[in-house]
Amino acid sequence: MMNRVVPTIKLYDYLIVPIQIELDDTTVEAMQEQILNEIDEKRIKGLIIDVSMVEIIDSYISYTLTETAAMAKMMGCNTVICGIQPTVALTLAQMGVKLKGVYFAMDLESALKILESIEE
Amino acid sequence: MYQLRYEVLSDLIIILYERESIKNIYFNVGGKEKYMKEKIIKNLDKYVGLIETFEVVKESWKEFLITVAEFWNTEDFEKKTKSSLEKFIELIDNSVLLSALETIKSEIEEFPIEDILKIICKVNTKLLEEKKLIIRELKDALAELATPTIRVWKDVILVPLIGALDSERAQNAAERVLEFASNSRAKVVIIDVTGIPMIDTIVGGFLIEMFNAIKLLGCEVVLTGIKPNIAHTLVKIGIDFNMVTVKRDLESGLRYAISITDQNK
Amino acid sequence: MSIKIKEEKDIVVARQIVKDIAKRLGFSLADITKVSTAVSELARNIYRYAKEGFILVKEKKSGEEVEIEVVALDNGPGIEDIELALKSGYTTTRNSLGLGLSGVKKLMDSFYIESEKGVGTVVIASKRRRAF
Repeated sequence: MMNRVVPTIKLYDYLIVPIQIELDDTTVEAMQEQILNEIDEKRIKGLIIDVSMVEIIDSYISYTLTETAAMAKMMGCNTVICGIQPTVALTLAQMGVKLKGVYFAMDLESALKILESIEE
Repeated sequence: MYQLRYEVLSDLIIILYERESIKNIYFNVGGKEKYMKEKIIKNLDKYVGLIETFEVVKESWKEFLITVAEFWNTEDFEKKTKSSLEKFIELIDNSVLLSALETIKSEIEEFPIEDILKIICKVNTKLLEEKKLIIRELKDALAELATPTIRVWKDVILVPLIGALDSERAQNAAERVLEFASNSRAKVVIIDVTGIPMIDTIVGGFLIEMFNAIKLLGCEVVLTGIKPNIAHTLVKIGIDFNMVTVKRDLESGLRYAISITDQNK
Repeated sequence: MSIKIKEEKDIVVARQIVKDIAKRLGFSLADITKVSTAVSELARNIYRYAKEGFILVKEKKSGEEVEIEVVALDNGPGIEDIELALKSGYTTTRNSLGLGLSGVKKLMDSFYIESEKGVGTVVIASKRRRAF
């Protein structure tokens, strides 16, 4: 029985994961496990992590996101991070944070388009 | 001799006041002010002449001196003096005003120079506050003008950057661009730098940060408007804008932007 | 205002407190985000390396100027090579010390650090409110 620590929505072959809670070491661990299991069970081809409700993204969270994307990639999934808030985007850029191995989108609609176009 | 009498008298005034025998010396209490007023009025033209300036300003200075003479030691002294000061204080040099006041003080001992200086401080503080407010408003207006953001096509916005980018302006520009890009759901942001006279390592750094931030929103960035001499400098100092698409001019930038947005339909 | 950092959730608490203070002082949204992110980095460093420490937040006002000062203190292992820690910039290795600190330095207006191996670390960083 899997522990659902984040809500997830399956749309076509994609998994949408909205981040609404504070991420700490234990939740991150559980979340990554949950996502990977769902990718497996639901035959997911693309992952969308929605951070539109996250007001602060520090280096730890950034690392968590790229790490999750790398894990998803191991299972054949591309990851799009969507909804980074403008002030958060500027903060990340000015800190010098580079999020590698992910795509970016402003909203779900664009995220889906990106995943579709990568597949082609 | 006259002055000595006043000193002596002022001690007496205190003692007599305490004994409530003011009536006898009432005329002496009034004497100080009267003496000062008389002396100011008598020498008014001389004192007005201490400040070389336009006639209009001289009139205000004259009015100020008369106000001091009239209202010294009355309830309205501060109020009246303040308002007559405000009429001309910005139009003359503070140091000229100060030396004029000091000259008068040297001739009239009772001239209340300390009180006047206190009032000058208050007036200057008030004027400074007003100026700071204006500066803030101008800065806001400048920020808006300096970073116009224009929606030129569906999902395409254009940001012409103009003028020298110091750190405050660069920060403001970046924030405005990001907010606008997010609000208008842009897919492509065209940044035109024709209006930036010089790009050095620092300005280059600001621009790169802005480009990276825009990309985190999921927008594509097109850079246009790099002039030959700037292209030369950028490579020499090792700045690389390889994280964005660089187009020669606005036209090619726009054409490119439209082609990618149309593609995604 | 002082916040003890001992459990992971204290990082969130520190962040929220700084955010509230910055908001009350009238900082712009972008600057609130920066200060909160900087505190998050500092608090996490304390949690991860020193296990325990403090974040102090102070408001400084002088006339029109308003400033937030953040102090991060701990009696942790200390940083052996501060220069290196600051230069290394951001990397995606989970245990890299440098990333947080160099980020804080870039986000804040002033940055001061002193650290001694085996004794502890103190970081003082501040941000001025911009007129906008």
